Amino acid sequence: MDTTHNEWEGPQHGERVLVAMSGGVDSSVAAAMLVERGCDVVGVTMKLHEDGSDVPDRPCCSLDSTSDARRVCERLGVPHYVVNLVDRFGRDVLDDFVSEYARGRTPIPCVRCNTFTKFRDLLHKADAIDARWLATGHYARMGDVDGRRALLRGLDPAKDQSYFLWGIEREVLDRLVLPIGVQTKAETRAIARRFGLRTAEKAESQDICFVPDGNHVRVLEEHLGADAPALSAGPLRLHTGEVIGEHRGFARYTIGQRKGLPGGFSQPMFVVDIIASERAVVIGPREALLGRGLEARELNWLSEPPRMGARVQVQVRNRARAVPATVVRIESDAIELALEEAVSAITPGQSLVLFDDAHVLGGGVIEARTGAMHNADPPRRAALPILAA
Amino acid sequence: MDMTTPVYLDHAATTPVRDEVMAAMAPFFGARFGNPSSVHRWGRDARVALDEARERLSACLGARPDEICFTSGGTEGDNFAILGVARTLRTHGRTIAVTTPIEHKAVLAAVHQVAIEGGGERVVPVNEHGVVDTEAFARALDAQVAVASVMWVNNEIGVIQDIRALAQQAKRMGVVFHTDAVQAFGKVRVDARDTPFDLLTISGHKIGAPKGIGALYIRRDTPLEPMFHGGSQDRGRRPGTENVAFAIGLTTAAELVLAEQDVEHARLTSLRDRLEHALRDRIPDVVVHGAGAPRAPHICNVSLPGTDSESMLMALDLRGIACSAGSACQSGSVSASHVLTALGVAPSVANAALRLSLGCLSTEASVDRVVDVLSTLAAKARGPVPAFT
Repeated sequence: MDTTHNEWEGPQHGERVLVAMSGGVDSSVAAAMLVERGCDVVGVTMKLHEDGSDVPDRPCCSLDSTSDARRVCERLGVPHYVVNLVDRFGRDVLDDFVSEYARGRTPIPCVRCNTFTKFRDLLHKADAIDARWLATGHYARMGDVDGRRALLRGLDPAKDQSYFLWGIEREVLDRLVLPIGVQTKAETRAIARRFGLRTAEKAESQDICFVPDGNHVRVLEEHLGADAPALSAGPLRLHTGEVIGEHRGFARYTIGQRKGLPGGFSQPMFVVDIIASERAVVIGPREALLGRGLEARELNWLSEPPRMGARVQVQVRNRARAVPATVVRIESDAIELALEEAVSAITPGQSLVLFDDAHVLGGGVIEARTGAMHNADPPRRAALPILAA
Repeated sequence: MDMTTPVYLDHAATTPVRDEVMAAMAPFFGARFGNPSSVHRWGRDARVALDEARERLSACLGARPDEICFTSGGTEGDNFAILGVARTLRTHGRTIAVTTPIEHKAVLAAVHQVAIEGGGERVVPVNEHGVVDTEAFARALDAQVAVASVMWVNNEIGVIQDIRALAQQAKRMGVVFHTDAVQAFGKVRVDARDTPFDLLTISGHKIGAPKGIGALYIRRDTPLEPMFHGGSQDRGRRPGTENVAFAIGLTTAAELVLAEQDVEHARLTSLRDRLEHALRDRIPDVVVHGAGAPRAPHICNVSLPGTDSESMLMALDLRGIACSAGSACQSGSVSASHVLTALGVAPSVANAALRLSLGCLSTEASVDRVVDVLSTLAAKARGPVPAFT
């Protein structure tokens, strides 16, 4: 296989590039680097949800962030527009976020935003303004693999965001520009300072843009109602099957979660499963989280789909280490992999991303853990709480 | 006209301050800086200038000087008129405000505020051309209604209402009648002696005066509670140190507009007709909104089916052409016009609307250039999705 990447290739001098600008430092610098290259840059900020008046200081996508993007563009001498994608984002991202939690899964709205909003709906805006290219401030890179444009991991492993980009259509790669994926965050900030951009020292946004306070339950309550099954009490079970109490609604939990669970066990306990049909949250010790296989659906390929028996590396969570795996089943809408080492907290709703070294092959949405290790001994309890029937 | 010369077709949004207005205001930022409430010579000088401005502006409206109240602009005038009357008359059992669905947001929000404060709101429908249904208007008026507000010239589609008839209907029912004449002044004949409106809002920056100045005509004996509370300026109606320079600017602009009204009306009508004929000629399915009703000559609202306003505004701006989709929105983003929706325009057509508004900067060459660009963009929207790869 022949993999190359020159710095960041793509738009030539004078070519029009639509730069998706959140108002943060990364997309600001992406725009600046393209301006410096001599491209015809057009900055666009997406309005994705109604600005909540109760949240004065949103890190992302707020009016303040929009004004930051506008002022950065003014500084760079390029036009800036706001596009209203509230309806589409609501349908493609927010509604899915809510229904996934209602099914006991843990979604990643940023993946769907990239797939449907940024790299589809916004691309239509790029068409409308004759922009050949669409650029973003993601820490990932474009390169060539076997003569075709390919998505590669960002060079800075601490910032790599390629995990969130597996869902975009392969054809879009031919128009994608990712200027900052070749550098570290510190280098990005240094460029911002060199250009005198007001966003140079701006704090990172870690939260989901429409959950600025990190309280996703509030969003679920708004959409599902506070008395929805996902937010109502249900049985809290041990992984061995025994019911040990109640929880306050399974949508408040995610697999691998330790916080908010009852204490008194001889070893740390984690959420190991959520069974929406029974409203059950299952807890167990660390080893009950481990899985040696998984199935994913809603597949998308940024390369030729892997064949049966292919060896790849997979990542099942952002920031998680990629582990070697073998394709044991592949269909048009489902894939199953056997992992060469046990992986913790394989979570339905999260993304499975397949890599060949730095090359992002594609991915899907995790459906289930398969062939997981369920044979660990039940943990001994330090003090027995009252048991339910 | 050079294909790169910028073309401003957004005079309904705002206009440049005229040189004559700048010159008339200049002394009041310098040597004649006094506070009109002061006893000394500086104060007297400013007071004389302000009184003279009030007299001259009253002459422009067929009013008496004490019927002119300088405001900060259209939004203040509309709020003052509607809330000022409703708050005064609610103790007399008149608690309801009547309006139409195609008003400026300043009117719609003020009327809604009347309801929030314990009164009610009634919205009278318009027909498909944007003309207020006079029978429905008459039915909406009764002894519970405090104030009715109908825009004279619609700011999005330019349709002219029969304000004399509507005001007469209101007067017969003892209802105070307000009209937002922000787009009407200088475009249609506005005279308090032959049209029985009680309150009338005008704004400076639509007619070559600065932003931040306007006036409310208040017919003598109209019950009107002040919005602000403070000193005795303008006999306590509008406390706060008067903006002498801007009041003189507004007056100067109003006089100039009236002096030029006949010539300018003919010129703008001819430009508007040239624009619409050419658009109908070049874009066969173009829709001209409000074309079935009497319209002011400066506003042309068209839908180019198959396009979307938001993309068009960007594409036009990148070609140097400035117009708007409806009225300007705070965040700079675009959503379907409430005015076109009220006319029963289908969402897909309403979302394809552009408001081109003519004025002092408009020429035949600029109109021709816009027709060329719009035809190109409309054809492009009809064509296949551009293949960039």
